[in-house]
Amino acid sequence: MFQTRSWMPCSTSFDPTMAVDVELFGQFSVGRPARQVLEVTQGITAKEIALRVGLNPDEVGLVSIDGVLCEMEEAVPGDCRLCFFPPMTGG
Amino acid sequence: MNLLRVDMRQQRTWLEPTPAAYEHQGGRGLTAAILLAETDPAADALGPHNKLIVAPGLLGGTGVSTAGRLSIGAKSPLTGGVKEANAGGTAGDTLARHGLKAIVAEGQADSDAMYILHVSKDTAELIPAASAKGLGTYATAEWAWREFGEGCTVLSIGQAGEYRLTGAAIAVTGEGEQRSNIAARGGLGAVMGSKGLKAIVIDKAQGLAVALADADLFRAAMKRFALELTNDPKLGPKGGTHMYGTAAITAAVNEMGSLPTRNFSDGSFEESASLRGEHLRETILGRQGRIGTRCMPGCVIACRNVYVDDTGQPLVGTLQYETIALVGSNLGLSDLDHVARLNYLCNDFGLDTIETGAALGVLIEAGLAAFGDFEGITALLLQVGQGTPLGRLIGSGAAACGRAYGIRRVPVVMGQAMPGYDPRSLKGNGVTYATSPQGADHTAGNAFGARNQVNPLSIEGQRQLSLKLQILSAMLDSTGLCLFARPPVIADPQLMVDMLNGRFGWGWSAKDLDTANRAILRTELEFNRRAGITPADHRIPEYMRQEPLAPHGAVFDVPDSELDAVFDEL
Repeated sequence: MFQTRSWMPCSTSFDPTMAVDVELFGQFSVGRPARQVLEVTQGITAKEIALRVGLNPDEVGLVSIDGVLCEMEEAVPGDCRLCFFPPMTGG
Repeated sequence: MNLLRVDMRQQRTWLEPTPAAYEHQGGRGLTAAILLAETDPAADALGPHNKLIVAPGLLGGTGVSTAGRLSIGAKSPLTGGVKEANAGGTAGDTLARHGLKAIVAEGQADSDAMYILHVSKDTAELIPAASAKGLGTYATAEWAWREFGEGCTVLSIGQAGEYRLTGAAIAVTGEGEQRSNIAARGGLGAVMGSKGLKAIVIDKAQGLAVALADADLFRAAMKRFALELTNDPKLGPKGGTHMYGTAAITAAVNEMGSLPTRNFSDGSFEESASLRGEHLRETILGRQGRIGTRCMPGCVIACRNVYVDDTGQPLVGTLQYETIALVGSNLGLSDLDHVARLNYLCNDFGLDTIETGAALGVLIEAGLAAFGDFEGITALLLQVGQGTPLGRLIGSGAAACGRAYGIRRVPVVMGQAMPGYDPRSLKGNGVTYATSPQGADHTAGNAFGARNQVNPLSIEGQRQLSLKLQILSAMLDSTGLCLFARPPVIADPQLMVDMLNGRFGWGWSAKDLDTANRAILRTELEFNRRAGITPADHRIPEYMRQEPLAPHGAVFDVPDSELDAVFDEL
């Protein structure tokens, strides 16, 4: 739905792994670390990271990369901040 | 049902059967209909020809979950246009069970005298209230409970309303400690003060019930509605709204770069973690406060809290997102205790926390205090209660403060302060702020919930989204429902149709309901047109079109032509 972001590789080395700062909010953080840095392979999607931290991707209400909303199928860049929010509504 | 007419000049009250023209109206829709039919839209909002209308929603008193909200309407002294503000508490349900479609107060008391309107079964009377004059809203409620009994509901103004300040609100009591239900926006407290009305006291509707035209249809729909609210992942007992309250969204709004910060100069607050719903919950539970309380009996969402200090003493009977944003991050404050203390003062003086937070932000930019300076900000706010010239200016809102101090960054539309979403990073809300007949008001059509359907940073689709949400809000505000209760009626409009048909026997279709909802907006727009509101009033402040907002560098770039076209398909 949203435009796929483009980004420059954060490193020119051949290291296939990268670090992603993952933060969980609301009830997602109950019983799980609210924040953790994960070593992941390049090209990994937000959905795959959600599964890795124990979330049901179907229950994610909002996901953002560095403050910009994104899709679960979107590939995650290195050295970013990835946030998962439960469904929520504004009053 | 009857209208309770109140003539403040002659101190006279009488009941009148609801005219046919108002039969299908309730809440916000009824307040707009009465204003357009019975007042001159060009009249002085604080003069005798304005009317203050207090109306439960169409489903008030029926026991439908969240449907007990109370609408209060008048011409706004802040925006110069039509205004409706609604609040929880027990007034909506109680008035409906007393058989009252609305209370309509007109005229003005001749002197500076203040009166209490006491509503009881089949009667109402105006009582001089010299001993309540000058009291804050908390003390006024306690005074009323001593005079009229603990079970009654109290609507009151504080000092701000008595001074007729355009940021003044009306407080509505609820059950137990849930006293902070505020019809906040648009300066309606000033209208109440201008009438010479300090409070409305409503006796319990003991043994009274509203009639149902088709009880089986009604009860089936009501039950399904409550069930669907309970099963909604956002609203049910394991949902964020219940667990963290309205502050559940603080982190997300901050992450989206839309959290008002330091007089709307930034979209994210570096200390927002301490303002999040998660921290609010942890703090309250750690101090033996209460989470998951209700502003209205029978609400299955229960998003409220009782915020307590570090000794366990209640500070405020719910700390909400909009207050956290406007009185917290917008003032550079990151301590919830500080926000709660300022919230209490606003409630007691009878002030809109959104308007007051924005006004204080403007004054800080003018150099009267520093962002993050709780003591300095408190000293400013206390002046409202003292009635000093500066206090009266603060209580008159952000636009007045901006004019007085020559500040250009004033986050208002139609003179009314923006709530807790900077429109540069949530452009759908910007379209609503700019175009709603109510002025800048998130409750008129909040696009935050549609962030997955329409990109909040894009121009595309915002006009259509805002119109859809404004029509929906008109329905919710007119039936008495809480905005949080919208998912089931969005998913199945027939559910609302069945509840209305079960209650009144109208035989409406979904199309009829949609037509009625759109007509409410048309009535409000027509009132504003006659009041002299023009497209030039429906604009986002110029600086928000020019100054990029961190962290996304966003400006509000929805063209004026798009704003002017919002109601083309109404």
